Amino acid sequence: MKDLRKTNRESAKKMHRPRWQAFFIGLFLFYMLLPILSTYVFSVATRWDRTILPEGYTLQFYARAAGASYFTSTLRNSLILSLATVLVSLIIIVPTVYWVHMRLTSAQPLIELLMILPFGIPTVVLALALVQVYNFAPLARSPFLLIGAVVVYSMPFMYRPVSNALQAIDSHTLTEAGQSLGANIVQILAEVVIPNILPGILSGSLLVFSTVFAEYTLTSLIVGARFKTFPLLLLEYTRINGNVAAAFSVISFTIAWLVSMMILWVGTTGKATSPEALRAR
Amino acid sequence: MTYLELKNVSKAFAGVDVVHDFSLDIEKGTLVSFLGPSGCGKTTTLRMIAGFEQLDDGSIQLDGNDITGVPPNRRDIGMVFQAYALFPNKTVRDNISFGLRMKKTPKNEIRKKVDTVLEMVRLQETADRYPHQLSGGQQQRIALARALAVQPRVLLLDEPLSALDAGVRVALRGEIRRIQSELAITTVYVTHDQEEALSISDKVVVMNKGIIQQVGTPEEIYRAPQTRFVATFIGTANQFLGTASGRDSVVCKNIKLLAEGVENFRDGEEVVALVRPENIHVQSELPQQRNDWNAIPGVVETITFHGAVTRLGVNTGGQRIVADVTVANTKPVALNQKIWLLFPMSACQVMAAKE
Amino acid sequence: MTPKKRKTGGFSNWIGFAPFLLFCLAFEIVPILLLIRGSFFEKTSGKFTLSHYLGLQHPLYVNSFLNSINLSGLTALIGVVLGTFIGYAIYCWPSARVRDALITLSDVTTNFAGVPLAFAFVIILGLNGVVTQFLAHYLDYKLYPGFSIYSFSGLVLAYVYFQLPLMVLLILPAFAGIKKEWQESAQSLSASTFQFWWQIGIPILMPSLIAGFTLLFANAFGAYATAYALVQSNMSLVTLQIGYMISGEVYQDPGTGMAMAVLSLIIMGFSIGVYQVTANRARRWSKS
Repeated sequence: MKDLRKTNRESAKKMHRPRWQAFFIGLFLFYMLLPILSTYVFSVATRWDRTILPEGYTLQFYARAAGASYFTSTLRNSLILSLATVLVSLIIIVPTVYWVHMRLTSAQPLIELLMILPFGIPTVVLALALVQVYNFAPLARSPFLLIGAVVVYSMPFMYRPVSNALQAIDSHTLTEAGQSLGANIVQILAEVVIPNILPGILSGSLLVFSTVFAEYTLTSLIVGARFKTFPLLLLEYTRINGNVAAAFSVISFTIAWLVSMMILWVGTTGKATSPEALRAR
Repeated sequence: MTYLELKNVSKAFAGVDVVHDFSLDIEKGTLVSFLGPSGCGKTTTLRMIAGFEQLDDGSIQLDGNDITGVPPNRRDIGMVFQAYALFPNKTVRDNISFGLRMKKTPKNEIRKKVDTVLEMVRLQETADRYPHQLSGGQQQRIALARALAVQPRVLLLDEPLSALDAGVRVALRGEIRRIQSELAITTVYVTHDQEEALSISDKVVVMNKGIIQQVGTPEEIYRAPQTRFVATFIGTANQFLGTASGRDSVVCKNIKLLAEGVENFRDGEEVVALVRPENIHVQSELPQQRNDWNAIPGVVETITFHGAVTRLGVNTGGQRIVADVTVANTKPVALNQKIWLLFPMSACQVMAAKE
Repeated sequence: MTPKKRKTGGFSNWIGFAPFLLFCLAFEIVPILLLIRGSFFEKTSGKFTLSHYLGLQHPLYVNSFLNSINLSGLTALIGVVLGTFIGYAIYCWPSARVRDALITLSDVTTNFAGVPLAFAFVIILGLNGVVTQFLAHYLDYKLYPGFSIYSFSGLVLAYVYFQLPLMVLLILPAFAGIKKEWQESAQSLSASTFQFWWQIGIPILMPSLIAGFTLLFANAFGAYATAYALVQSNMSLVTLQIGYMISGEVYQDPGTGMAMAVLSLIIMGFSIGVYQVTANRARRWSKS
């Protein structure tokens, strides 16, 4: 009751705050929404280079986008790359995080450091280092090398939600409770630990997926045209046909939106205050 | 002499009355506690005195001047918060001198005053530390020193001990009382802890649902509660629901009790008779009946050792009564023993059943 | 504190850590170390040399670094200042639903970068962009040739797009950490609103502001795709130069490229290091 009144009081006080907030929020909305909305409109505009509003509207660019020669193959490549990265991350990161929590707490600072490291390395530098070291078949400039690179670069996105989830459920006590009730380690993992950290695993996977799906730098520098992904196709089309490129953009926004909504739906990821908000531009 | 005066103060949040028609005179140099359960309006009242909340109705006067519309930074009032609220970016010394600097006090004077209040709270050695380097109890003493350094006209304390451990709490409340009486500073102390309020205050204001229930010295509040709420909120009281009958009786479900204060009620009006556990005598045989005493038979159901007293839970034909016995003046009792509970009419107070 | 001093460490327990560690070594640490080593040695003779670093004195590389640092510093500064005000406006906004919506928007837009972002800015601010035309038609103001989306000023606008929401996300917890009681104690000690912000509020926010600046700086410094899609060869940036070297689009001495990479590692590492220290400090303050 007391808390309720407190919030009422606060909101009552905020009600008559000055207009400068509205100004900043308006500016923010304008800046954030104008580029996105313009892209949407551009993708359905017949011609929009002589007038303020488009001269007409059409869906033909979506038809042309879907009919583009590389459309399905790049979409497929992007999906393969993203899913493979999620899979590899799940295999190498989730068990490691659990292991460190349970049996090797002295490795906690080391794993934290390894998770910050990718933020201190520009993606182009990572690409350069990998291309120079792995200059032999079958790794040289191959999708396999690319998967290794994007796993490294996206691993903090998997690590943080999983680690937070493990911390939140107090896996030690749960494991001990399970043991005292006679369960073995496999049963504890399958019935207690994994179901409880599943939201963390899911949001980590989705974050990795959307990050890798939009990845341009490592893909173009490590494999280039040999394994063309969706962002590469998009850049190509910005030089061929702007409207079709806009249609491709809209498709990639839509995928990003969908994944974001799924992450929100899965639960909080706790990434707002950490460098996880950093991605390659 | 009235120093701080609240006149018909009312406050509502989103249509809900939080403080209703609150009037109170506080004498200069005294410590007055606002005591009540959470949500009773005590903190809101305190915040209105500080100026953090606007009054919907009524006025507040300090030393003969109306301060109702004066902003908090011009009220000359010191405030101590439950969560210490020390500025984390400033050392202890800078925290304490903050208010003095706001008032443009000369530097050497600031130094002297800071040293004085630090000595008062016995934390001279912490002057150059940061808040996060201090324990909770130390932080709260520094917060007290910071509020006192500007020599405010009134000191307000909002549940200052609630965030501390039990031991620190008792020590610090003694310290607050000592400093308060040394400086003879008018103080309002908000708490939900009855023991704290009773031990520290000159006067206690018991509040419930935004309304003053009773104002009095700690003894008056404990010995002569005026409402059922006060009687049950402070200490423990056995309650007998019944109807008023004649000049001195209350008719309950199975028994008829002799009680004081029945004359204030109409015959048949719903009342409650209250008896404190320590006023009940326990005997194994019914002694010779005295005519102004109540005697109720019962069976001992629980025996709980509390140190100085032992509390008995007694079943008296449906109603459970608790009685405190001291080892010195009672023969040992056993579980399931049949006993008699005896208490004088004067220990049995009658109040309106409605809170 | 429950007693959780169980046996940790020990050789057998480290085996469980090995696969992950090996992966990091193989795809991150060893290649980077070899890159650093390579920048100090001659490729053919294998002798120690500083010539790769001395080669960076060429105006092209000096310009690349200056451009990168200016761009990162300027967009980080704009991001910090505007983002702080916007963050505070969001923090104070009365409706929780609006606040949540704006936070979600920031979350999504800070990740909207690279090629789609660059292209969206061409649509609005290109030669025939929406805003370009609006200014020409209604305000009779010719944006071109004074401004170009394909130049430094264009990059600034595009980078601010992802810097701003990132700063908003970073600063919101800092505002939440400023306790109402601090404001009230300052008031009861006769401080004005301005005195509170100047003496208490801003100093408490300072670690978060510095942390925000360093993170935003690193964020812009390492950026590649947005710049590549927008400016191409109009302007040189460190990441673009390194990219050209890898793809072989422009001939460059590989040694110089490595030296450039090492230098940018140092700049990024320093920024992220300062970020870590200041962010920890901010966290500690908001706890006390």
